[in-house]
Amino acid sequence: MHPGIYKTVLDWIPEGARVLDLGTGDGAFLERLVQTRHVMAEGVEKKPELAACCIQRGLVVHQSNIVEGLDQYGDQSFDYVLLLGTFQELISPAEIVREAFRVGRRVIIAYSNFASYKVRLQILFRGRTPVTQSLPQPWYRTSNLHFLSILDFREFGRHLGVRPVRDAFFNSYGRVVFFPNLFAEEVVTLLEK
Amino acid sequence: MADPPDHIVEGDLQDQKITGYQSPLGVTPVHKVTLRGVQTQSGFVFDQIEVTFQTLGTLSPGRDNAILVCHALSGTAHMAGLHPDTGRPGWWDFHVGPGKAIDTDKFFVICSNVLGGCDGTTGPLFIRPETGKPYGMDFPPVTITDMVAVQAKLIEHLGISRLFAVVGGSMGGMQALAWAVHFPERVRLCIPIATCISHSAMQIAFNEIGRRAITTDPNWNGGNYTLDCRPNHGLAVARMVGHVTYLSEHAMTRKFGRTLQPSADPDDQSSLFSVESYLHHQGESFVSRFDPNSYLYLTRALDQFDLFDGRPPEEVLPRLKARFLVISFASDWLYPPAQSRELVRWLKRFRVAATYINLETLYGHDSFLIENPQFSQVVRHYLDHELRKPDMKETAVAI
Repeated sequence: MHPGIYKTVLDWIPEGARVLDLGTGDGAFLERLVQTRHVMAEGVEKKPELAACCIQRGLVVHQSNIVEGLDQYGDQSFDYVLLLGTFQELISPAEIVREAFRVGRRVIIAYSNFASYKVRLQILFRGRTPVTQSLPQPWYRTSNLHFLSILDFREFGRHLGVRPVRDAFFNSYGRVVFFPNLFAEEVVTLLEK
Repeated sequence: MADPPDHIVEGDLQDQKITGYQSPLGVTPVHKVTLRGVQTQSGFVFDQIEVTFQTLGTLSPGRDNAILVCHALSGTAHMAGLHPDTGRPGWWDFHVGPGKAIDTDKFFVICSNVLGGCDGTTGPLFIRPETGKPYGMDFPPVTITDMVAVQAKLIEHLGISRLFAVVGGSMGGMQALAWAVHFPERVRLCIPIATCISHSAMQIAFNEIGRRAITTDPNWNGGNYTLDCRPNHGLAVARMVGHVTYLSEHAMTRKFGRTLQPSADPDDQSSLFSVESYLHHQGESFVSRFDPNSYLYLTRALDQFDLFDGRPPEEVLPRLKARFLVISFASDWLYPPAQSRELVRWLKRFRVAATYINLETLYGHDSFLIENPQFSQVVRHYLDHELRKPDMKETAVAI
């Protein structure tokens, strides 16, 4: 994932917030968040060996998949629920976003934009399923289940009754300001109900 | 799940003959202490209670590095090192010792035999002062809470006001949970392993088979048996059933399959399946070290355990102060991971800091007793990290 996404999330989360990180991996980012923002954080991670890494970092972690992990928490337990880097891989993103809003007040989601110009050009001129920096695997190996654009995501938000309050767009050159649906490869967005 | 290394020793260390087993602790003694009276939950008053226990490591000058290890149904006070009489390794020697999951170089580690047990703590084998005969079935009902109350007396006797951690698997996990509920100020970390907040019908059912095997053995005689005429057959059957529930299908297939074991008697041409002779051995080995009445009392305590004791969870859980590390094993079908998740769910609903990990081991419920690098690492890292943090509750503690 673009390092700018992590930096943006660090900027968005205020000191002392309660944060749930879904798909927290080895906990490196969550540890950084705890250290720099002094948040009360917990992670959910599916793989035992990665959850063990989180324990080594002294993080509170729940080893489980995201759906079952979310079910463990009471309503409105968190200020922020993070979904960074796994969004396209979720089987039922709508259900998970709804659940995320049950346990948290705000939800931050990162995803890859499937309508960036590089992707469009590959489909148009090569006639092949695109392989780019943010979509690095060929179709038969990718863990991405869903291919969405920024416009698709906004429509998805409207459908769920949640609205983006802040967005940040990135490509390999850095931050994208103009025509993100064309130029951005990765997106992070802060949603509120 | 990858196949584990062949050298892994399965099952309870106390029932194994492991040639050349070395414990870095060498021979470790057990101690006995007589403590002033305790009243059980059922209202029975013991004027005094004898407790057998073991301590390893050194208590820090601040008395803040004590870890209580709670043993499971068939466990003893002798958790690690080699037993001075039998030479056998303690039941948790894989995980307690220098540099191990519970590091005796860093922590003062305590384990005591439970109330109602048969390893030297007051139990049905003890002589009742009024009658001069063993208590037998006149021993009062024992609960997990009673066990913990006796442990609390022992901890006070050792001059410790607050435990760094309480750790235990299975019945030991229930004790760890009861500690966190009944003595919230005295527990910093709670590590329940392969346990539950109350037994399911299936768990009670398996225990009842064991109890029934004992009480229908003619030698049981209402619990009034002598040492040379005990219901050994019933106890052995109880252990055999129990043992099957502690394993997994995978572990049994891998270890025994359908291989045959020739009879030890040279005149006997018949042979048993390996799994049969293994279970016979487990049963016999257990009979030599366990009291049938104790088995009845302790399995009853397991079945009766209810973390909330019939109270609404919202009355019990907000009082908890400990941080939790909850561990389950994917292949454990006796205390399935869903039971640990149920516990974690309750904790999280009341905003108790609870870390949960479900380890992909192959050995069923016994997974916490065997050599397991991932398990060791998780426990060690969790304790290490907490050791580096200041104790937030220290100032609020009073005995």
